Amino acid sequence: MTALGKLFRTTTFKLTLVYLTVFALFAAFLLAYFALNTRRLITEQITDTVNAEITGLSDQYRLGGIRRLVLVVDARARRPGSSLYLVTTFTGQSLAGNVTALAPGILDNPGWTETVYRRLDEAEGTEKPEHEALVRVFQLPGGFRLLVGRDLEERERLYDIVLSAGRWSVAIVIVLGLAGGLFVSRRVLRRVDAMTETTKTIMDGDLGGRLPVAGTGDELDRLAQNLNAMLERIEALMQGLKEVSDNIAHDLKTPLTRLRNRAEQALRTAHNEAEYRAALEATIEESDGLIRTFNALLMIARAESGQARDDMNEFDAAEIAHDVGELYEPLAEEKGIALKVEADAPARVKGNRELISQALANLVDNAIKYTAPPAAPVNGAAPEIVVRALNSGDRILLTVADTGPGIPEADRAHVVERFVRLEQSRSQPGSGLGLSLASAVARLHGGELTLEDNHPGLKSVIALPRGGPVQSAG
Amino acid sequence: MPTYADINGQRASGRTADAQPDRVTMRLLIIEDDRDAADYLVKAFREVGHVADAATDGEDGLAMALDGQYDVLIVDRMLPKRDGLSVIGTLREKGIETPALILSALGQVDDRVKGLRAGGDDYLPKPYSFSELLARVEVLARRRGARAEETVLRVADLALDRLSHQVRRGEDEISLQPREFRLLEYLMQHAGQVVTRTMLLENVWDYHFDPQTNVIDVHISRLRSKIDKGFSQPLLHTVRGAGYMIRDGAR
Repeated sequence: MTALGKLFRTTTFKLTLVYLTVFALFAAFLLAYFALNTRRLITEQITDTVNAEITGLSDQYRLGGIRRLVLVVDARARRPGSSLYLVTTFTGQSLAGNVTALAPGILDNPGWTETVYRRLDEAEGTEKPEHEALVRVFQLPGGFRLLVGRDLEERERLYDIVLSAGRWSVAIVIVLGLAGGLFVSRRVLRRVDAMTETTKTIMDGDLGGRLPVAGTGDELDRLAQNLNAMLERIEALMQGLKEVSDNIAHDLKTPLTRLRNRAEQALRTAHNEAEYRAALEATIEESDGLIRTFNALLMIARAESGQARDDMNEFDAAEIAHDVGELYEPLAEEKGIALKVEADAPARVKGNRELISQALANLVDNAIKYTAPPAAPVNGAAPEIVVRALNSGDRILLTVADTGPGIPEADRAHVVERFVRLEQSRSQPGSGLGLSLASAVARLHGGELTLEDNHPGLKSVIALPRGGPVQSAG
Repeated sequence: MPTYADINGQRASGRTADAQPDRVTMRLLIIEDDRDAADYLVKAFREVGHVADAATDGEDGLAMALDGQYDVLIVDRMLPKRDGLSVIGTLREKGIETPALILSALGQVDDRVKGLRAGGDDYLPKPYSFSELLARVEVLARRRGARAEETVLRVADLALDRLSHQVRRGEDEISLQPREFRLLEYLMQHAGQVVTRTMLLENVWDYHFDPQTNVIDVHISRLRSKIDKGFSQPLLHTVRGAGYMIRDGAR
């Protein structure tokens, strides 16, 4: 595609053409209307003048007969100007006036006619063309005929001037319009070309590329800004995906290796059925753990990508606190821990019920895991876990407070990251993804997970905006 | 007859020894494009006394489901030629209401909902354990005409009144928490059948996630202490490697 062809194909240029056509037609119509009206006006003026002169001349005739009329007409005919006069007998013989060589038959028809003529003072047979005039023939008593008229040259000249002015202005409109269109199209085209260029490099894999923003705040800028925001989001998602795969590589390979080693060892050393069975059972247990980790990872990735946003309804978080508390209460009791739920007032919130339940369940599960049984009390406090659902301004809080060892302040931000488990907790079962998942769910809802000191113990707080996640503008 | 325990490579022992499900032979159709997985399932179902056929693509599966008299269909979600949801949808359009269990590698909540909406009766994400699949299939096979409409459920001398919410064992009235009542109700609705922990979590608590720790076991042991403690004949049995079952052991 040639540069010019590309230019002609742009939307801007096509729009320019459409506008140009409309404006040119409009200008032409306006000038034509003006020209025709001018012409009509002049014709009306001529008619009025001629009528007045005829009235005057017929008065003269009435007062002084043909002789007086001839004198007056003769006098008027000698005056320079565009007025035409002629008085003839009923046979058509000229008595006075400044007109000759009228078209035949004109004098026989009283009334208005447009005709060609020659002035009397012009030599017969000259090269000069005949003039045009608007004349009125008036029948006088006694068979005389009076012709009064006016040359139309002036009217035609004016008409021509207006017409040519019209042609010129239309031509100028077209030329300027085309030039302007080309100019604007080229400017737009250059910016769009720059965008296309950037898009190509991004498609080739450079996700860090951003579209140029001219800073004019026009629609192209807004488009570029929105596309850039979109790219930003895509890059973040890709980054998340990469993190997931890195984590999978890192943390799933360890248990997979363990799994393989165990199977290998069983093949090498097992001597009887019981030993084989034990090895197989251990293998199944290990793979169940792997599946669990894998599922949790997928959940987190899904929550972080925002896919679950479609599935949000309004519900009561206090109910969730009671349900989850009820689910875990026997487990806590078995470990000698008192689990209490304090959620009396309804705390309505918009979100994904299943995910929020799961997040809270993870926090309670963690609290039970890390809270020491009474045999080994920490800081002398009676082991207790309290689950609360609270209203706090435009947010609702779901909190789980335990009396366990807590998490050192320096580590708190760190532990919500995927897969992180503090060294001392490595011996506990679990995928290590509970806090990460709770955090991802909170962020999905536009809220956050924070870890606080419970003096003693840990207090995990999920804060969620009441109205659900606010979609980022633009 | 082989038991669950054999399938799971464990010996039945202790209180689980007499916990054998009331098994009636079922005819199953497995529509699964992974030939190895299909063969494994056919073999495993035969070992526990059921009859199983396999189809490896959606068109074959649909034709077989239309022809044969099956008690339960096990349908993989993604199949060549015609996907699993379309197979079930077509069957339902033709008025065939054979219960169908959907197997899928996509385990997300909304995906599960989509599967059930398309006419599936149950949904099991891959990878699954055979004991879980078996328990769910047996529940599906007996779902219709089951005890859904009965107002009083009975197992041996245990009776649960669904209207008055009263539970009695012999002459003794047993007081249960609302959730314990629902747990017992679900178990008694499927008396003689194995019910897995996931099934309980889904049907009694309406949770479709994995609560990390086996919280269900603690709830069951609480329930057991209320209904079995002090009686010579235990009714609530643990089926090792599979789940739980309520059953009249004396029969």
